[in-house]
Amino acid sequence: MNDQPNIRVLLVDDEETLIEYLSKRLLKQGFTVKSTFSGEEAVEAAKQEHYDVAVVDLKMPGMDGVEAQRRLREIQPFLQSIVLTAYASVETALESGQLEAFQYLSKPVDYDNLVAVIRDAHKKKMEVQGTKFKEHVEELYREEAWVNAG
Amino acid sequence: MTYAKSTESNSSLLAELKKVTQELASHKIELHQTRAYLRCILQNCTELIFATDAEGVVVSFSKGGEKVLGYAFEKVVGRPVKTLAQDPESFGPVIDTCQQEGCALALEVPFRHKEGKTVYCNVSLMDLTNREGQRVGTVGICQDITRRKKLQEDLIQVDRLAEIGRIAAGVAHEINNPLAVINEASGWAGEVVSDARGLSSDERRELEEAVKKISAHTMRCSNITHKLLAFARKSAPTKREFDIHEVLKETIDFLTPELKHTSIEIDFNFAGGPLSVNSDPRLLEQVFVNFITNAIHAVLEKAEDEKRIEIQTLKTNSEIEISVKDNGVGIPEEHQVKIFDLFYSTKPPGKGTGLGLSICQNIVRKLEGDITLESKVGVGTTFTIRIPIS
Repeated sequence: MNDQPNIRVLLVDDEETLIEYLSKRLLKQGFTVKSTFSGEEAVEAAKQEHYDVAVVDLKMPGMDGVEAQRRLREIQPFLQSIVLTAYASVETALESGQLEAFQYLSKPVDYDNLVAVIRDAHKKKMEVQGTKFKEHVEELYREEAWVNAG
Repeated sequence: MTYAKSTESNSSLLAELKKVTQELASHKIELHQTRAYLRCILQNCTELIFATDAEGVVVSFSKGGEKVLGYAFEKVVGRPVKTLAQDPESFGPVIDTCQQEGCALALEVPFRHKEGKTVYCNVSLMDLTNREGQRVGTVGICQDITRRKKLQEDLIQVDRLAEIGRIAAGVAHEINNPLAVINEASGWAGEVVSDARGLSSDERRELEEAVKKISAHTMRCSNITHKLLAFARKSAPTKREFDIHEVLKETIDFLTPELKHTSIEIDFNFAGGPLSVNSDPRLLEQVFVNFITNAIHAVLEKAEDEKRIEIQTLKTNSEIEISVKDNGVGIPEEHQVKIFDLFYSTKPPGKGTGLGLSICQNIVRKLEGDITLESKVGVGTTFTIRIPIS
């Protein structure tokens, strides 16, 4: 798995044992992993370092997953969030929080599926970021052209 | 004088006679009218009204009674009234009370319909006496409350299900979190075992097997909790227009792996052309998968060469009827009433969750339809689902 890009994953769940084992498995597989145990802690972490994908539990004491996800996006607009929910289905999860996430997965998650979704989310992040970067560069060029023309 | 007197007395006698005759005539009219009135009541009322002689033998039986119990007047007259009850011995004491007190009231007395089913009635009995105050019989008015009773039971059932669903959903949600932990911990343990050095091949196999078991059974639990949560989900069905035949065919495609190594023959007996309905195809597919899977299990359990499942569709004015018929083992009568209960399963542990049929019933009710069941041990089972076209 050495040929994969380095993907930086931010884990957010108040279930510490879950994070413990999940981070061990992801680290072993070559991901860079930061573990946080609350929405607040995750937001702080996002202020310090950049991440590609956040895996966020929906229901947490204090700041819940919906709010955490929104705040993370404010800090890092390209960050993609995968929301884990112990509710039955994606629809129920959507009912409880209308915020756009890259994907909702129900707990317990199939590990291989989670890894695949993290990779997809990373790809999406790179695309969005790339598009934005291109737009930004084009804008700079246009401004420059305008300045030159002026 | 005597003559005159006698004439006078004759004429007064005549007047008296005339008066009596007139009174008699008016009583006769009154009597006639009362009779007509009574006949009218007996013919028109929907209640079962009967009259017995002093020995409790039926002498009169209302038209409503014929409807309620299914018997014609002639078949009932001459029979002891208590034989109309489901349990004649329990009806006896009610009649005894009436004889002692002059009247009696009994609630929810089970009667036996001609076709064998039970009809529940609230019964009011009253003694019939003659002019001398002697008991000459009993009059009974029985109000058929079977429908009301059924409705009441259904409502209680729905209430109870909603409550169970709510609690179960809460529990399922709480259990999914620890399940997720077990799942990750066992996944990690699996990785550690496969990387570990210094294990004998036997030890490695044992450990790998154990870890695999933990993962598999975690998923089994997860399967139950997710089904429960789906059961309790409050969201309204999303209806759209679609062809029911398409959904049935997709269901069979979905079940093809289950059918692969069996000799089961599936017959389609579809109504001509597409059968368009405005409902929720996703939910209905879930129902079909359940019924057809049950049918597959039922025919596989039976040691018979010809294993047959028939799927039939029918269209009435406002409804579509889908029936799944199998020639499998059948369901014993005592199980038939419980089969839709939450957590009721006759399958061995781990094979059935006891949720499938209650979920189906919940879904079909949400879609404003109903499910009926017909089954005979050793002959087979037919489940029929009726849903409104729009």
